[in-house]
Amino acid sequence: MITESSVITVEQDGRQATYKFLATLDELKKTGQLTRWIDDHDVLLYEYEGEIKALSNICRHFGGPVGYHKHKDGVFTCLWHNWTFSCKDGSCTSHPAYPLRQYALKVVDDKIYVDLLG
Amino acid sequence: MKTFLLTAKFRAEMDCPKEVVMWNYYDHEHLVGTHYKYYNATRVLAERDDWSLVVRGKRMPLLPFYTSGIGFQYMDGNTMKSFHQDTIGFMLEMEAFFEDLPDDRCAVTVTYRIHAHPIFKLFDPFFQKLFKKWFWATWEEDAPMRLRRWKVHQLGFKDFSGIEYVNKKQPRPEHIEAGKYEFIPPVKKSSPIRTTEGIERPFDSSVELGYADR
Repeated sequence: MITESSVITVEQDGRQATYKFLATLDELKKTGQLTRWIDDHDVLLYEYEGEIKALSNICRHFGGPVGYHKHKDGVFTCLWHNWTFSCKDGSCTSHPAYPLRQYALKVVDDKIYVDLLG
Repeated sequence: MKTFLLTAKFRAEMDCPKEVVMWNYYDHEHLVGTHYKYYNATRVLAERDDWSLVVRGKRMPLLPFYTSGIGFQYMDGNTMKSFHQDTIGFMLEMEAFFEDLPDDRCAVTVTYRIHAHPIFKLFDPFFQKLFKKWFWATWEEDAPMRLRRWKVHQLGFKDFSGIEYVNKKQPRPEHIEAGKYEFIPPVKKSSPIRTTEGIERPFDSSVELGYADR
Protein backbone atom coordinates (compact mmCIF):
# COMPACT_ATOMS: atom_id res chain seq x y z
CA MET A 1 0.00 0.00 0.00
CA ILE A 2 1.41 3.38 -1.00
CA THR A 3 0.15 6.30 1.06
CA GLU A 4 0.51 9.95 0.18
CA SER A 5 -1.27 12.82 1.84
CA SER A 6 -4.23 12.71 -0.53
CA VAL A 7 -3.99 9.33 -2.26
CA ILE A 8 -3.73 5.66 -1.30
CA THR A 9 -2.83 3.07 -3.91
CA VAL A 10 -3.51 -0.65 -3.38
CA GLU A 11 -3.48 -3.83 -5.45
CA GLN A 12 -7.09 -4.93 -5.52
CA ASP A 13 -9.08 -7.32 -7.70
CA GLY A 14 -6.23 -7.49 -10.21
CA ARG A 15 -5.97 -3.75 -10.62
CA GLN A 16 -4.13 -0.86 -9.07
CA ALA A 17 -6.88 0.89 -7.09
CA THR A 18 -6.42 4.54 -6.23
CA TYR A 19 -8.30 5.90 -3.22
CA LYS A 20 -8.53 9.68 -3.03
CA PHE A 21 -8.90 11.69 0.15
CA LEU A 22 -12.52 12.67 0.68
CA ALA A 23 -12.95 13.87 4.27
CA THR A 24 -11.77 13.36 7.81
CA LEU A 25 -13.72 11.33 10.32
CA ASP A 26 -14.19 14.49 12.36
CA GLU A 27 -15.82 16.23 9.41
CA LEU A 28 -18.21 13.35 8.95
CA LYS A 29 -19.02 13.12 12.64
CA LYS A 30 -20.27 16.72 12.76
CA THR A 31 -23.51 15.90 10.96
CA GLY A 32 -23.14 12.22 10.10
CA GLN A 33 -23.50 13.10 6.43
CA LEU A 34 -21.75 15.31 3.91
CA THR A 35 -21.36 15.75 0.18
CA ARG A 36 -18.23 16.65 -1.72
CA TRP A 37 -17.22 17.01 -5.35
CA ILE A 38 -14.02 15.20 -6.21
CA ASP A 39 -12.73 14.87 -9.80
CA ASP A 40 -16.19 15.47 -11.29
CA HIS A 41 -17.88 12.95 -8.99
CA ASP A 42 -20.37 14.27 -6.43
CA VAL A 43 -20.01 11.91 -3.50
CA LEU A 44 -22.49 11.51 -0.65
CA LEU A 45 -20.64 10.28 2.43
CA TYR A 46 -22.61 9.19 5.50
CA GLU A 47 -22.76 6.97 8.50
CA TYR A 48 -25.60 4.47 8.73
CA GLU A 49 -26.07 1.74 11.33
CA GLY A 50 -22.44 2.12 12.43
CA GLU A 51 -20.99 1.87 8.91
CA ILE A 52 -19.45 4.58 6.79
CA LYS A 53 -20.83 4.47 3.26
CA ALA A 54 -20.67 6.49 0.07
CA LEU A 55 -23.09 6.87 -2.82
CA SER A 56 -23.31 9.07 -5.86
CA ASN A 57 -25.04 12.28 -4.82
CA ILE A 58 -26.42 12.75 -8.32
CA CYS A 59 -30.04 11.67 -8.62
CA ARG A 60 -30.51 9.76 -11.87
CA HIS A 61 -33.79 11.52 -12.54
CA PHE A 62 -32.67 15.08 -13.32
CA GLY A 63 -29.35 15.32 -11.44
CA GLY A 64 -30.61 16.66 -8.12
CA PRO A 65 -28.70 16.54 -4.83
CA VAL A 66 -29.71 13.34 -3.05
CA GLY A 67 -27.97 14.32 0.19
CA TYR A 68 -29.34 17.86 0.51
CA HIS A 69 -31.61 16.76 3.35
CA LYS A 70 -30.23 14.78 6.26
CA HIS A 71 -31.41 11.21 5.82
CA LYS A 72 -34.40 10.18 7.90
CA ASP A 73 -35.74 6.73 8.76
CA GLY A 74 -33.10 5.11 6.57
CA VAL A 75 -34.05 7.10 3.49
CA PHE A 76 -32.54 9.94 1.49
CA THR A 77 -35.06 12.23 -0.22
CA CYS A 78 -33.72 14.13 -3.21
CA LEU A 79 -34.40 17.83 -2.84
CA TRP A 80 -35.66 18.51 -6.34
CA HIS A 81 -38.41 15.94 -6.93
CA ASN A 82 -38.52 13.82 -3.79
CA TRP A 83 -37.14 10.61 -5.28
CA THR A 84 -36.18 8.38 -2.35
CA PHE A 85 -33.16 6.14 -1.84
CA SER A 86 -32.23 3.56 0.77
CA CYS A 87 -29.33 4.45 3.05
CA LYS A 88 -28.54 0.75 3.16
CA ASP A 89 -27.40 0.37 -0.43
CA GLY A 90 -28.55 3.34 -2.53
CA SER A 91 -31.44 1.46 -4.08
CA CYS A 92 -34.17 3.78 -5.31
CA THR A 93 -37.29 3.13 -3.28
CA SER A 94 -39.53 5.43 -5.32
CA HIS A 95 -38.27 4.43 -8.79
CA PRO A 96 -36.51 1.05 -8.43
CA ALA A 97 -34.94 1.08 -11.90
CA TYR A 98 -32.63 3.91 -10.89
CA PRO A 99 -30.33 2.92 -8.00
CA LEU A 100 -27.43 5.14 -7.01
CA ARG A 101 -23.92 3.94 -7.65
CA GLN A 102 -21.99 3.00 -4.49
CA TYR A 103 -18.34 3.91 -3.86
CA ALA A 104 -15.68 1.82 -2.12
CA LEU A 105 -14.06 3.52 0.85
CA LYS A 106 -10.98 3.10 3.05
CA VAL A 107 -10.41 4.73 6.41
CA VAL A 108 -6.76 5.26 7.32
CA ASP A 109 -5.57 7.41 10.23
CA ASP A 110 -8.92 9.13 10.70
CA LYS A 111 -9.07 10.01 7.01
CA ILE A 112 -11.67 8.69 4.59
CA TYR A 113 -10.58 7.84 1.05
CA VAL A 114 -12.80 6.99 -1.90
CA ASP A 115 -12.14 4.83 -4.95
CA LEU A 116 -13.83 6.63 -7.84
CA LEU A 117 -13.58 3.53 -10.00
CA GLY A 118 -14.54 1.02 -7.33
CA MET B 1 -64.60 49.40 -13.59
CA LYS B 2 -61.55 51.54 -13.05
CA THR B 3 -58.80 49.52 -11.41
CA PHE B 4 -55.48 50.22 -9.81
CA LEU B 5 -52.50 48.36 -11.23
CA LEU B 6 -50.16 46.91 -8.66
CA THR B 7 -46.90 46.11 -10.38
CA ALA B 8 -43.42 45.00 -9.45
CA LYS B 9 -40.43 44.20 -11.66
CA PHE B 10 -37.20 42.36 -10.92
CA ARG B 11 -34.18 41.41 -13.00
CA ALA B 12 -31.49 38.89 -12.14
CA GLU B 13 -28.70 37.10 -13.95
CA MET B 14 -27.70 33.44 -13.94
CA ASP B 15 -24.51 31.62 -14.85
CA CYS B 16 -26.31 29.23 -17.17
CA PRO B 17 -28.10 29.37 -20.54
CA LYS B 18 -31.66 30.68 -20.55
CA GLU B 19 -32.98 27.27 -21.62
CA VAL B 20 -32.01 25.86 -18.22
CA VAL B 21 -34.09 28.56 -16.52
CA MET B 22 -37.03 27.87 -18.84
CA TRP B 23 -36.80 24.18 -17.96
CA ASN B 24 -36.94 25.17 -14.31
CA TYR B 25 -40.11 27.23 -14.85
CA TYR B 26 -41.83 24.32 -16.64
CA ASP B 27 -40.75 21.67 -14.14
CA HIS B 28 -43.93 21.65 -12.05
CA GLU B 29 -42.85 18.70 -9.92
CA HIS B 30 -40.01 20.63 -8.28
CA LEU B 31 -42.44 22.97 -6.53
CA VAL B 32 -43.10 20.47 -3.74
CA GLY B 33 -39.41 19.48 -3.70
CA THR B 34 -37.09 22.43 -4.12
CA HIS B 35 -39.72 24.86 -2.81
CA TYR B 36 -41.22 22.54 -0.21
CA LYS B 37 -41.30 25.32 2.37
CA TYR B 38 -43.65 27.40 0.22
CA TYR B 39 -45.62 24.88 -1.86
CA ASN B 40 -47.57 22.05 -0.24
CA ALA B 41 -49.33 20.55 -3.26
CA THR B 42 -49.50 20.78 -7.02
CA ARG B 43 -51.27 19.16 -9.92
CA VAL B 44 -51.09 19.51 -13.69
CA LEU B 45 -54.62 19.73 -15.06
CA ALA B 46 -53.51 19.85 -18.69
CA GLU B 47 -50.44 20.62 -20.71
CA ARG B 48 -49.26 20.53 -24.29
CA ASP B 49 -45.88 21.47 -25.57
CA ASP B 50 -45.20 24.93 -24.18
CA TRP B 51 -48.39 25.61 -22.21
CA SER B 52 -49.75 24.20 -19.01
CA LEU B 53 -52.69 24.58 -16.68
CA VAL B 54 -51.86 23.82 -13.07
CA VAL B 55 -53.25 23.91 -9.54
CA ARG B 56 -50.90 24.93 -6.77
CA GLY B 57 -51.16 25.26 -3.01
CA LYS B 58 -48.72 27.75 -1.57
CA ARG B 59 -47.94 30.11 1.24
CA MET B 60 -46.24 33.33 0.27
CA PRO B 61 -43.81 35.13 2.56
CA LEU B 62 -45.45 37.58 5.00
CA LEU B 63 -48.78 35.73 4.74
CA PRO B 64 -49.72 33.34 7.56
CA PHE B 65 -51.95 31.06 5.47
CA TYR B 66 -51.91 28.78 2.43
CA THR B 67 -53.89 29.57 -0.69
CA SER B 68 -54.79 27.34 -3.57
CA GLY B 69 -55.01 28.64 -7.09
CA ILE B 70 -55.13 27.83 -10.75
CA GLY B 71 -52.42 28.99 -13.08
CA PHE B 72 -51.98 29.00 -16.84
CA GLN B 73 -48.60 29.55 -18.40
CA TYR B 74 -47.29 29.59 -21.96
CA MET B 75 -44.29 30.67 -23.97
CA ASP B 76 -44.48 33.64 -26.29
CA GLY B 77 -41.08 33.75 -27.97
CA ASN B 78 -38.56 34.32 -25.21
CA THR B 79 -41.23 35.40 -22.75
CA MET B 80 -43.17 33.14 -20.45
CA LYS B 81 -46.56 34.56 -19.59
CA SER B 82 -48.65 33.25 -16.75
CA PHE B 83 -51.99 34.01 -15.16
CA HIS B 84 -52.69 32.85 -11.66
CA GLN B 85 -55.96 33.18 -9.83
CA ASP B 86 -56.09 32.08 -6.23
CA THR B 87 -58.61 31.80 -3.46
CA ILE B 88 -57.98 35.36 -2.31
CA GLY B 89 -59.62 36.44 -5.55
CA PHE B 90 -56.86 38.39 -7.26
CA MET B 91 -55.53 37.45 -10.65
CA LEU B 92 -51.76 37.71 -10.81
CA GLU B 93 -50.23 38.21 -14.24
CA MET B 94 -46.57 37.39 -14.54
CA GLU B 95 -44.17 37.80 -17.41
CA ALA B 96 -40.69 36.34 -17.37
CA PHE B 97 -38.45 37.55 -20.18
CA PHE B 98 -35.37 35.42 -20.87
CA GLU B 99 -32.34 36.84 -22.61
CA ASP B 100 -28.97 35.39 -23.52
CA LEU B 101 -25.81 36.94 -22.17
CA PRO B 102 -22.27 36.12 -23.31
CA ASP B 103 -20.40 33.08 -21.96
CA ASP B 104 -23.44 30.82 -21.45
CA ARG B 105 -25.09 33.25 -19.08
CA CYS B 106 -28.57 34.71 -19.12
CA ALA B 107 -30.81 37.31 -17.56
CA VAL B 108 -34.41 36.99 -16.45
CA THR B 109 -36.73 39.95 -16.02
CA VAL B 110 -39.91 39.17 -14.14
CA THR B 111 -42.87 41.53 -14.03
CA TYR B 112 -45.80 40.92 -11.69
CA ARG B 113 -49.12 42.70 -12.25
CA ILE B 114 -52.36 42.67 -10.31
CA HIS B 115 -55.40 44.68 -11.37
CA ALA B 116 -57.22 45.58 -8.16
CA HIS B 117 -59.92 47.88 -6.85
CA PRO B 118 -58.54 51.42 -6.37
CA ILE B 119 -58.78 50.99 -2.62
CA PHE B 120 -55.83 48.59 -2.85
CA LYS B 121 -53.58 51.51 -3.73
CA LEU B 122 -53.23 51.80 0.04
CA PHE B 123 -51.63 48.38 0.08
CA ASP B 124 -49.10 49.08 -2.65
CA PRO B 125 -46.11 49.23 -0.23
CA PHE B 126 -47.15 45.87 1.20
CA PHE B 127 -47.45 44.32 -2.28
CA GLN B 128 -44.03 45.67 -3.21
CA LYS B 129 -42.54 44.09 -0.13
CA LEU B 130 -44.44 40.84 -0.65
CA PHE B 131 -43.35 40.37 -4.26
CA LYS B 132 -39.79 41.40 -3.55
CA LYS B 133 -39.60 38.74 -0.87
CA TRP B 134 -41.34 36.17 -3.06
CA PHE B 135 -39.14 36.78 -6.08
CA TRP B 136 -35.88 36.59 -4.16
CA ALA B 137 -36.93 33.66 -1.94
CA THR B 138 -37.81 31.48 -4.93
CA TRP B 139 -34.87 32.80 -6.97
CA GLU B 140 -32.42 31.82 -4.24
CA GLU B 141 -33.91 28.32 -4.06
CA ASP B 142 -33.94 27.90 -7.84
CA ALA B 143 -30.49 29.36 -8.52
CA PRO B 144 -28.43 26.40 -7.20
CA MET B 145 -30.83 24.02 -8.94
CA ARG B 146 -30.24 25.69 -12.29
CA LEU B 147 -26.51 25.92 -11.79
CA ARG B 148 -26.29 22.25 -10.80
CA ARG B 149 -28.50 21.23 -13.72
CA TRP B 150 -26.12 23.08 -16.05
CA LYS B 151 -23.08 21.58 -14.32
CA VAL B 152 -24.26 17.97 -14.62
CA HIS B 153 -25.33 18.59 -18.22
CA GLN B 154 -21.75 19.59 -19.01
CA LEU B 155 -20.59 16.33 -17.40
CA GLY B 156 -22.78 14.37 -19.81
CA PHE B 157 -25.83 13.83 -17.58
CA LYS B 158 -28.84 12.25 -19.29
CA ASP B 159 -32.34 12.43 -17.80
CA PHE B 160 -33.57 9.18 -16.27
CA SER B 161 -30.09 7.71 -16.59
CA GLY B 162 -27.36 9.81 -15.01
CA ILE B 163 -23.69 10.26 -15.85
CA GLU B 164 -22.36 7.22 -17.66
CA TYR B 165 -18.80 7.26 -16.30
CA VAL B 166 -20.15 7.57 -12.75
CA ASN B 167 -22.73 4.79 -13.09
CA LYS B 168 -20.41 2.40 -14.92
CA LYS B 169 -17.41 3.07 -12.66
CA GLN B 170 -15.34 4.12 -15.63
CA PRO B 171 -12.62 6.78 -15.86
CA ARG B 172 -13.98 10.19 -16.72
CA PRO B 173 -13.59 10.72 -20.48
CA GLU B 174 -11.00 13.34 -21.37
CA HIS B 175 -13.52 15.07 -23.58
CA ILE B 176 -17.26 15.12 -22.94
CA GLU B 177 -19.59 16.08 -25.80
CA ALA B 178 -22.42 17.55 -23.76
CA GLY B 179 -23.89 19.59 -26.59
CA LYS B 180 -26.19 22.58 -26.33
CA TYR B 181 -28.74 22.49 -23.52
CA GLU B 182 -32.12 22.04 -25.15
CA PHE B 183 -35.43 22.91 -23.55
CA ILE B 184 -38.16 20.75 -25.04
CA PRO B 185 -41.43 21.14 -23.11
CA PRO B 186 -43.31 19.59 -21.53
CA VAL B 187 -40.83 18.35 -18.95
CA LYS B 188 -41.05 14.57 -18.60
CA LYS B 189 -42.93 13.54 -15.45
CA SER B 190 -42.05 10.90 -12.86
CA SER B 191 -44.94 11.28 -10.44
CA PRO B 192 -48.77 11.22 -10.37
CA ILE B 193 -48.82 15.02 -10.88
CA ARG B 194 -51.08 14.64 -13.92
CA THR B 195 -53.63 12.50 -12.08
CA THR B 196 -56.51 13.68 -9.95
CA GLU B 197 -54.33 12.97 -6.90
CA GLY B 198 -51.67 15.47 -7.84
CA ILE B 199 -48.59 15.47 -5.61
CA GLU B 200 -47.87 16.75 -2.14
CA ARG B 201 -44.66 17.60 -0.40
CA PRO B 202 -43.37 14.71 1.74
CA PHE B 203 -42.53 16.96 4.70
CA ASP B 204 -42.59 20.63 5.61
CA SER B 205 -39.33 20.79 7.53
CA SER B 206 -36.05 18.94 7.48
CA VAL B 207 -32.43 19.13 8.55
CA GLU B 208 -30.89 20.76 5.51
CA LEU B 209 -27.24 20.06 4.82
CA GLY B 210 -27.35 21.99 1.59
CA TYR B 211 -25.56 21.90 -1.73
CA ALA B 212 -21.79 21.50 -1.98
CA ASP B 213 -21.59 22.43 -5.63
CA ARG B 214 -19.28 25.43 -5.51
